[in-house]
Amino acid sequence: MGNEPIENSVLVIPCSGIGKVHGLMSREATYLVTDELAPRQTGTLCLALLVKGDDEAVAAVRSHACITIDGCAKACAEKNVAMAGGRVAKAIQVAEAFKNHRGAKPGDATVLADDGWIITREIAAAVACEAARLYACEEAIR
Amino acid sequence: MSTEVTKVGIISCSGEMIPEGTISRLATRRVLELLRPNATVTLCLPLFLAGNEAEQNFAKTHPTITIDGCEKRCAKWGTEEHSGPVSSALVVTDILGTQAVGCHRSSRNSSLPDKEAVWEVAERIAAEVDTVLAETGPYDGTAAVTSGDQCSCSSPVPGGKLKIRGATVSIPGLALIFGQCVARNIPADTCGCDALLGAVRIYHRIPPEEEADYRSALLKAYQVFRSGAKPAK
Repeated sequence: MGNEPIENSVLVIPCSGIGKVHGLMSREATYLVTDELAPRQTGTLCLALLVKGDDEAVAAVRSHACITIDGCAKACAEKNVAMAGGRVAKAIQVAEAFKNHRGAKPGDATVLADDGWIITREIAAAVACEAARLYACEEAIR
Repeated sequence: MSTEVTKVGIISCSGEMIPEGTISRLATRRVLELLRPNATVTLCLPLFLAGNEAEQNFAKTHPTITIDGCEKRCAKWGTEEHSGPVSSALVVTDILGTQAVGCHRSSRNSSLPDKEAVWEVAERIAAEVDTVLAETGPYDGTAAVTSGDQCSCSSPVPGGKLKIRGATVSIPGLALIFGQCVARNIPADTCGCDALLGAVRIYHRIPPEEEADYRSALLKAYQVFRSGAKPAK
């Protein structure tokens, strides 16, 4: 997927936080969903475009169900989508996924280790499941 | 701005839709971890809207360089709108031209062209950091981190250690440098010495009179690295 128009029903928007591994996990979980698990039902959007206030990006988050994936409690993705008037259908925090993986060594903000990929795949699976539900709802409304 | 140590802020767009966004993010990490660890800090771009006043004042308290993936220049625009004017604004597509074609968004698909693109952009950012610092005041690349407002994003990576003329010398991110040398197929014998020395020289000053010592020590360390054993820390 490149810089194409946003057509899919559900937008998955990660924070991509640059400081910690959780930001990288949010980003990679998004690509797992949009490229592998649910490519027909989901797409993504540059969060920076929302920060910029880009008209097309703002319209997209207002007209699509959005699932945000945040690395930390500052919840930048969720807050920015909400501030743009977007529909946050589900807000996920990476840190929550660590509750079942105490002592895991996920890697760092640059590279995910094996533990990091395992947790990231779990997050992606949960997001894909939620996206499928939202997609079905949207289709039913149409 | 701190009068003790000037640090350059680097803000990456990290655009999720395009490979250049991934390159901007990873190149920024490379500069923070390896190329200029004591001279740079960063902040997540979305924090300008979602964060507190201290975070929103980032560009007012640091000379700031933005790294954008594409011509939309979201990082530059967002930083200037919400925080303050930037010292320099780089765009990945300007640096790489068509080189980014074929690069990937996810690290699951990362290949040699992706890695080389990241290195090229990172080196360009590092050069820009040096320019900004030269304009704002003297910089001692070996100075300890003393700024109180450093964010946790910029902790330097551990250095690899070499014995040079009886003294222990630490080279930040030596394992990463060696990893890149492996990816570039630099051999672990005397044929690879020049390339090895050149790669390390980018990140670590090598006095001319110590070149032969570095050459020998680096080759030994690189051979250990390639054999799979962990280099000395």
